[in-house]
Amino acid sequence: MISLNSIDVGYKTPLLSVNLSLELGNLYALVGKNGSGKTTLLQSIIGMIPAIHGEIILDEKSIHSMSNLERAQKIAFVETKFMGINYLTGFEYVAIGRTPYTNALGRLSDRDKMQIAKSLEIVGITHLSGKHTTRMSDGERQLLQVARALAQETPYILMDEPTAFLDYSNKRNLIEKLKKIAHEEQKCILLSCHDLEICLENNLPLLIVSESEKKIEFRNNASKEEILQLAFS
Amino acid sequence: MMIVHVLSGQISLNFSDIVSAFNTYDATNTNHIIFFEFRIPRMTMSILSGSALAVSGMLMQTLFNNPLAGPYVLGINSGASLIVALTLLTGIPFFTSDFGLISGALFGALLFGSIILFFSFYIRSHISLLLIGLMISSFVGAIITTLESMSAAEQLKSFTFWSFGSLQQTTLNQLPLIITGCFIGFLGSLLLSKPLNAMVLGETSAKSLGIHIRSFRIWIIAITALLTGTITAFCGPIAFVGLAIPNLTRMIFQTQNHQYLLLGNLLIGGIFMLTCDTIIQLVEPYFVLPINAFTSLIGAPFVVYIVLKKLI
Repeated sequence: MISLNSIDVGYKTPLLSVNLSLELGNLYALVGKNGSGKTTLLQSIIGMIPAIHGEIILDEKSIHSMSNLERAQKIAFVETKFMGINYLTGFEYVAIGRTPYTNALGRLSDRDKMQIAKSLEIVGITHLSGKHTTRMSDGERQLLQVARALAQETPYILMDEPTAFLDYSNKRNLIEKLKKIAHEEQKCILLSCHDLEICLENNLPLLIVSESEKKIEFRNNASKEEILQLAFS
Repeated sequence: MMIVHVLSGQISLNFSDIVSAFNTYDATNTNHIIFFEFRIPRMTMSILSGSALAVSGMLMQTLFNNPLAGPYVLGINSGASLIVALTLLTGIPFFTSDFGLISGALFGALLFGSIILFFSFYIRSHISLLLIGLMISSFVGAIITTLESMSAAEQLKSFTFWSFGSLQQTTLNQLPLIITGCFIGFLGSLLLSKPLNAMVLGETSAKSLGIHIRSFRIWIIAITALLTGTITAFCGPIAFVGLAIPNLTRMIFQTQNHQYLLLGNLLIGGIFMLTCDTIIQLVEPYFVLPINAFTSLIGAPFVVYIVLKKLI
């Protein structure tokens, strides 16, 4: 469980105050205006930016008391876009997700290889393992990022606008897959997203950033009107 | 290639000379002396300089996530040059000793490595960072020119020869020092191969994978400074090897795994410099080709080729 008890996030002045907890087995969507603090919140949870006030607790341990390695085994982060890297294949890319578990020279053990294969299979992209990342489509690369996060074997996965550069069918495909993964693999996945319709279609629990009140409202069954009212008025 | 290299040169040696030099060394045999005192150090330096500069280039390119980075472009060579210029041109005896020269070049490389690292904390854009590297290089170049204009003819001559780059100034008893420096650098790079592999994905991802970015950066700069500084102190500023070879290695090995890339850079860097120096030795009877000029002659068109290939 990720517990955010009266946390203030931001750089110098508090941008948002947050009071909620996120449970395993769920896919949460963080919605709100551009610049309202979504990315800042995500970066605070992964420990990149220290919270101004309060402590972020992962499974009863404050993230700031964790070492980099300990944190990397608890929480995976997926960036908005992965551009592909010359000569890097799908398998090699997903293998980088094993970094927190490999030895000093980064050699993959049998268990590492098994976990990589399993991650590719869960996402349904085993066929991409030999393909070069620069030759993949945006949709394929986004699924590959999910596989990398799964290979990291963390209970928590955070994603910064993973749907931003995808077409409509790829967006739906990604969200549906993530929802299934969160449920079946008992992961807690939090993503920021601007695609309200797709979030509502999938009945995702929503974290709505209310910019005017500088806080986050949690809604499990919200209507579109209510969300628009909260986030964009 | 190594054999071809030691056999070529102004005074011809043949293969039997080498064999007999190893089996029954004769201190009065000129050919034996040439082989051990000149050819062996020169061949070793060719391989080491090529390998060390290629590995430095690989480290810089991954650290800055930029295929056009390299110790020369980012001004790390210039840093070493500046300190060497200060020491050679002022002619203080301590600094012109081996130890003084190498520690001066190391200090210069480390200092300018840290400067570019400092800028990289604030500058996200790769182009700006390269621009700053180039500016540092030309700024340092200007200081060196000023120093040159103020110094005596004898000192000016020794510095100018140094700046041409040369693989033949090294003597047999300096080799252990250079080999040790390079070996530590190569070993350090091997130990950093895991964070280097993660760094390919960019800083945020590397950090979320548990890599301690700050200490990683410092290690990379320290190793690059060690490798570049050692080579620059003895061979002068050799351009383009550090930029071109890592790209060539990636193209040939088709991988982003830094353990293979390290091996590839060691091999290809060594072979490249050995080939360059063999050609230089072959044309030596007709005209003198400084190694720095020669690597640039080959390297510059190659870099243009990389840039064009990126654009297309």
